[in-house]
Amino acid sequence: MRLLVLEDEPALRETLAQQFRAAGFTIDAAADGVEGEFAGLEYPIDVAVVDLGLPGRSGLEAIRAWRKAGKAFPVLILTARDSWQEKVAGLDAGADDYVTKPFRFEEVLARVQALLRRSGGWSQPLLKSGAVELDTRAQEVRVGGTAVELTAFEYRLLEYLMLRAGQVVSKAELTDKLYEQDFERDSNTIEVFIGRLRRKLDPEGTQQPIETLRGRGYRIARG
Amino acid sequence: MAPASPSLQIRLLLTLAVLLLAAAAIAAWSLESLYRNLGLQALEDVLDAQVIALISTAEIDADGRLVPQNLAEPRLATPGSGLYAEIVSSRGSWRSPSALGSGLNLDAQPSPGGRRLEHARLADGTRVIGLSLGIRWEPPEGEARDFVIRAAQSLEPWYQQMHRVRTGLITGSVLLGLFLLGGLAVALRVSLKPLRRLEGEIVDIEAGRRESLGAGWPRELAGVTGNLNALLIGERKRLERYRTTLGNLAHSLKTPIAAMRGLIEGGRAGPQALSPQLDRMQAIVQHQLKRAVFGGSGTTLTDLAVQEPLEQLRAALAKVYADKNVRATLAVARGTAYPIDAGDFLELAGNLMDNACKYCRNAIAVRATPWTAAEWRRPGLVLDVEDDGSGIPPAERSRVLDRGARADESVAGQGIGLSVAREIAAAYSGTLEIGESRMGGARISLRLPGR
Repeated sequence: MRLLVLEDEPALRETLAQQFRAAGFTIDAAADGVEGEFAGLEYPIDVAVVDLGLPGRSGLEAIRAWRKAGKAFPVLILTARDSWQEKVAGLDAGADDYVTKPFRFEEVLARVQALLRRSGGWSQPLLKSGAVELDTRAQEVRVGGTAVELTAFEYRLLEYLMLRAGQVVSKAELTDKLYEQDFERDSNTIEVFIGRLRRKLDPEGTQQPIETLRGRGYRIARG
Repeated sequence: MAPASPSLQIRLLLTLAVLLLAAAAIAAWSLESLYRNLGLQALEDVLDAQVIALISTAEIDADGRLVPQNLAEPRLATPGSGLYAEIVSSRGSWRSPSALGSGLNLDAQPSPGGRRLEHARLADGTRVIGLSLGIRWEPPEGEARDFVIRAAQSLEPWYQQMHRVRTGLITGSVLLGLFLLGGLAVALRVSLKPLRRLEGEIVDIEAGRRESLGAGWPRELAGVTGNLNALLIGERKRLERYRTTLGNLAHSLKTPIAAMRGLIEGGRAGPQALSPQLDRMQAIVQHQLKRAVFGGSGTTLTDLAVQEPLEQLRAALAKVYADKNVRATLAVARGTAYPIDAGDFLELAGNLMDNACKYCRNAIAVRATPWTAAEWRRPGLVLDVEDDGSGIPPAERSRVLDRGARADESVAGQGIGLSVAREIAAAYSGTLEIGESRMGGARISLRLPGR
């Protein structure tokens, strides 16, 4: 999942980036409204965390610009002023939820995950595809009730596919979303990880949870 | 500082002085011209009568002149009497004895039947008014002849009279104007007295000698003084609130600070140990800030139409509680408005609606209606927020409203919404009541009085 952090305070921006990276996100970070607006418009962002009090162009303006350009990715705002006036202004501009400063990272993460889940069309934190269950809160994967151990990258790959369950996801999209900007990209790596994921989720090869659509990408069935 | 503008009293007096001067001048001028016209008419009438009298006794003498046979008017016989007469014709003329040596030189020559009035001067400079009448004399035998009969009268007495009249008129106008201006100055002093009192009381308030304006103001000022008093009370309440908040904040931060100091001095300041203290400090700051943000009532506020902010809150909360899929119905009586700070209203309604969304199963209802009473010029507002949750038991209700009101009590950060809403309502002299909803859960009724 590709997440944009738009925060002017360097310490907070770095901490958030680091913590989200540790939680399996691919991070784009921006320090001001102009840079942030550009990133949101030009990069394949899945979710953005935006501080409203930015120097120069405000976070609100960046959100408005994204929405005006038809960008539908969910936006979580961070506000220092805990007033409904500010919250309403942010949500009205096109944000989807808010967290007031100071906050605990766990809360921000939970909100971001909930937003991603909702934007994928899931109303519950537990994503299901046949026998495969993915708990976004606990970051756990079970097949037929038995826990499966996944590496961080495998988990991110599966989570991305499951959040978009029912849709075809191309290899290029996966590379975009799961690797940081300057990472060396090689679509073969994705194939290798898909192969590993299939072996872990379906060792006998009877369920075939991940469908390959030749030349188009991968798909996981919803429900 | 801008240069002081002339006082109201000076402005009024100057304007009125100019007006009075103009009015007096117009009145004096009209009176004078009326008097003059009447006087001239009377003079003309006298001259007319003289001319008629002359004709009635005139006979043609041997020289062919037309001569009055007896002078009924003795003044015509007295030289320098001021009344003069002459009858002129082509064959010679007659002059009254009074005109001898006077240098009377009227020169109007009206044709028979004509009549001319003229002003002239005598040799000694006396101004006279003269009337000339042309006649055709037809004796029983002989031919008809034309004569001009003239009578003239000195204008000097009349001019003297006019002068006295003018002097009287001007003196009277000036005296009347001065009297009126003086009266106005007194009237102004009397009517502006409450304003001076207001000024004095405001100075006293600034100097801290009094807390609010006194009572017993004239009707025209009662609105202003009432609003000023409300503003003063509002400001004082706000100041008290800030003081309390600051005090609570400082006081409640002391405990975690002391704990952290203890941990550091004891060499046990690891993240595990410090984190709960930081959490506590964070909760305290958040909690106290939330109580301090609202603006409070002001009499200067304009009416806020509540429909739009309520719609905004509904849209915002629909996003925040997207997982719960809350069905929020909004019923706002047409044109419902209340003089409240927009931020305060969002905070009030936001806390109530947020609370309802938090505790509902899947539906909340918001109803806003004006609250009218006979003694209010501006209506109050009733905002009912209901949910279909499990409600608040009667025993819990007052505790819920008081939750977190004191800094050293639990500051979980959760559930303080209602007590914050109650504090904002109190700043507008309003109340918050908890009841039961027909939907099954709680009904929170906010009542903000009118004015």
